[in-house]
Amino acid sequence: MNRAWWLAAVLLAPLPLAAQQDSAMARAFELERRGNYSQAVDAYRAVLVARPADASALLGLERALTPLGRETDILPQVRAALAVLNPSPTTGAIFGVALRAWAAAGAPDSLRSVAERWAAMAPGDETPYREWGAAALAERDRAAARQAYTTARQELHRDDALAAEMAQLDFADGDFAGSLREWLPAVRRVSGYRTSAVSMLTQAPDSLRQALLSQLGHEHDLPARRLEANLRARWGDPLGALESLQAALPADTALAVEALRGLADQLRTVPGRDGRQALGRALEQIADRTREPERSRTRLEAARAYTAAGQRDAARRMLTGIADDRGAPGTIAAGASATLIQVLIGDGKLDEASKRLAEHRSDMAVDDYTSLERRLVRAYIQAGDLAHADSLVAGDSTVEGLALAGRLRLYRGDIAGAIARFKAAGPFAGEREEATERTALLAMLQPIEADTVLPLGQALLALARGDTARAVTGLDKVGGELPPDKGGAEIHLMAGRLAAAIGKPADAERMFKAADVQTAPGTAPAAELALAELLLDQRRPAEAVAQLEHLILTYPSSALVPQARRRLDEARGGVPQT
Amino acid sequence: MRRREFLARGAAGLLALSPSLAPSLGRLRLTGSAPWLLVPMDDAQSDHLKAYGLTFRLLERGGRAEWFLNYRSGSFLLPADDAITRDAALNGITVEPLDDSRLVSIRGELQGGNMDAVPLEKAPKVAVYAPPNAAPWDDAVTMALNYAGIRFEKVWDPEVMGAKLKTYDWLHLHHEDFTGQYSKFFLNYAGSPWLVDMVDRNRAMARQLGYPSVPALKRAVAVTIAEYVQRGGFLFAMCTATETLDLALAADNVDIAASYADGTPMDADASQRMRWNEALAFQGATLELNPTIPVYSDIDGHQVNSPDRRQPLGSFTLFNFSAKIDPVATMLVQNHRQVIPDFYGLTTSFTRKTLKPSVTVLADEPGAPWVKYIHGEHGEGTWTFFGGHDPEDPQHQIGDVPTDLSLHPHSPGYRLILNNVLFPAAKKKELKT
Repeated sequence: MNRAWWLAAVLLAPLPLAAQQDSAMARAFELERRGNYSQAVDAYRAVLVARPADASALLGLERALTPLGRETDILPQVRAALAVLNPSPTTGAIFGVALRAWAAAGAPDSLRSVAERWAAMAPGDETPYREWGAAALAERDRAAARQAYTTARQELHRDDALAAEMAQLDFADGDFAGSLREWLPAVRRVSGYRTSAVSMLTQAPDSLRQALLSQLGHEHDLPARRLEANLRARWGDPLGALESLQAALPADTALAVEALRGLADQLRTVPGRDGRQALGRALEQIADRTREPERSRTRLEAARAYTAAGQRDAARRMLTGIADDRGAPGTIAAGASATLIQVLIGDGKLDEASKRLAEHRSDMAVDDYTSLERRLVRAYIQAGDLAHADSLVAGDSTVEGLALAGRLRLYRGDIAGAIARFKAAGPFAGEREEATERTALLAMLQPIEADTVLPLGQALLALARGDTARAVTGLDKVGGELPPDKGGAEIHLMAGRLAAAIGKPADAERMFKAADVQTAPGTAPAAELALAELLLDQRRPAEAVAQLEHLILTYPSSALVPQARRRLDEARGGVPQT
Repeated sequence: MRRREFLARGAAGLLALSPSLAPSLGRLRLTGSAPWLLVPMDDAQSDHLKAYGLTFRLLERGGRAEWFLNYRSGSFLLPADDAITRDAALNGITVEPLDDSRLVSIRGELQGGNMDAVPLEKAPKVAVYAPPNAAPWDDAVTMALNYAGIRFEKVWDPEVMGAKLKTYDWLHLHHEDFTGQYSKFFLNYAGSPWLVDMVDRNRAMARQLGYPSVPALKRAVAVTIAEYVQRGGFLFAMCTATETLDLALAADNVDIAASYADGTPMDADASQRMRWNEALAFQGATLELNPTIPVYSDIDGHQVNSPDRRQPLGSFTLFNFSAKIDPVATMLVQNHRQVIPDFYGLTTSFTRKTLKPSVTVLADEPGAPWVKYIHGEHGEGTWTFFGGHDPEDPQHQIGDVPTDLSLHPHSPGYRLILNNVLFPAAKKKELKT
């Protein structure tokens, strides 16, 4: 009995004050977590009654009041906290809450007073002024924020204090020159600011860019050069970007590599030949400053960039040695081999490429190998060497291989064989563009009744080899020999499109008209649309309009009618030219 | 013989059924048994915007049409001649052949509900006030007219001051700043080639026409435009032209232009001295005195270029009017959508507190202190103001790619613009507002 009473007394005794407060905080957190903000406010306030300067409770109260739209209701608690505040690790958090509360209340004098009190407790620290400015900005008061930063500079006797914040203000005001002036010291102090600086300054209108670059040109240190390089790269001058950086690269290898890597990362996103070339050069310089295996890996990447830029000599220079270096890591050597084979194909050294491909077959992934093999087949086709192309394709039973085999049949004039292989390959084999082109070819071939039309194969081979003029002549002749509804109209349409593409509008017009016959109703709307577009290109809008109107009214159910209407709108000036 | 007689009697019957179209029916070649075409303007229509052009071109050719207010979202009745059929086919406009019995049935529906048939008789002669170098794609009305295939002529200060306005029935104001402050972009876009060109052209024009400054010229232009409306013209304005036209009109002997525009600062008490009785739509507005803030006054509810005051976009709702009692307002709100997403402009909306009591509100944002689309009379003529810049580019910026209306053929916002173009074609005696 006595034992039971004792237990009851222990259980029912009041908890120590600290434990009660912890429990109250836990309850407040839980209410906030559940989204019950009203009750959370009450719970946090209860904690603050006992401990007015409890930073966690004050911050919790601020968080709970914000979604209720009652930010200024925190002011009594803020005043109470400030009244008992002593320097401690949480002082900053309490001052921060106070600044935001006064800013929300639209009380600039109180805002300033709190910031000055904080600054007095933390001499030499930028934070009070930064928070003051941030609180003002949260209320969209840029003038007050600027006042906060200017005061910081006066009080701290440092012209570069809060430079990043000032730069953002200038940017918001559309003052790009001012923003750049501020970003420079900010980036010099904290290099991590460069990303923000670049992303803001990049948005400068075209008309201001040269002036900004000139402004940067007066600075000669590495941070300024890096900023200039980043901006030039973003503004479409990747080679200029690299030159800017090179001029200030430090002797310290680690620093130089870090700067080059930063630019290379950006250049990877810059499209176009200049972008690839600049990337290749940056990577080459990184490789020159690093050791194996990083060196080989970087040279390989540089070679790929040079290849994409069409700089085969530079690519070969990078690859020399890596591919045949047994000491280089296996994946790098295989990658180098693949790139080197691409370079050799590009140089027209097909037999050497073929030999290397055979030698390195075991080092390469299957997909890489077949991809290179097909590139080689296409290169042999372009060279007119159908025998070698045939021999490579013979062992390829994939759908992509069938598609290539179909083309080889076609170039030999074997229409039936080409159709059979194209059908077997299906409509999706290969890249999208290639698949679309093959489908169009199949549509052109199917109406042809003859199994073999050698001149058609020769004309298409000429086209594959880049001799478009010869292809046009051949196709025009074949189109004239075949009945319009048995392939003649489609071939004339293709010939006309090619003639237009090589700047022979008169020939193209004649061929489109030859394709526009009622006996080939599947081809005629396309021929009329092509003719109208040719007339538009030749600035003959009235004839184009008549042609388009004829198309729409004569073939109202054609799938080309929406496109024709669009071109009609353009011809009449109803919509912007695309 | 019997068939010919039947056709002749049928045609005579149709004339009786649709009296307003009778004069044009004589020129028609009837197509089968459907002498009329209904141009539906509800969701069955494949190109709402071009449908207005179809009707406009018929009127241009001397034909007549009817606008079936509130019937299938404001459909048009056209005679089924070859030219219209061809025009509709070329432009991808949905038309429905209509025989006489169906037409009788529709007229019965019009009688019974909040609908009416308004005869359209004459294509209005349309002018767009725009500087010669205005980008053709930077004005919603110009885009709508071009897309719909409605012919218009451009006029600018020399034509307005040269009394050419009287030759037009309908005038649209490009987003001009009639306070003469270059849209208050002068300081923020200093050095931009387009701004330099705009300033040079306007200053040269002020000199040419004998005005001491651009603000003085623009006020004279505004007064001339108001006189045009007074004499019976139809005025339609969007974006900043709405607000600045009224500010210029009310600024009688008040300097409301910043010093960069006329060499002298704004009158500090300009807001108090404005003569709002000279304005068309607004009164009691407070002017923005800061020359660096591209905001003119508190007429605009959204204040898009003032970060501290900028209001988010919502959507606006078109009002319903009685088609038989209030056909003008009804015509202006014909649409297949009642609620339309809002869009910014230098002037996006009009605060309710600054509207004159005589203004008819055509669309507003429920619960917001602003309205979007307003209309009123001035003397013998009428004006309509529509806030915002481009209904299909809600946050249009300088240099943005032009809006391609072939991607927005059902745009309800652009429909409102085109309602305004056809409204002056309505037979005058029918207008009761």
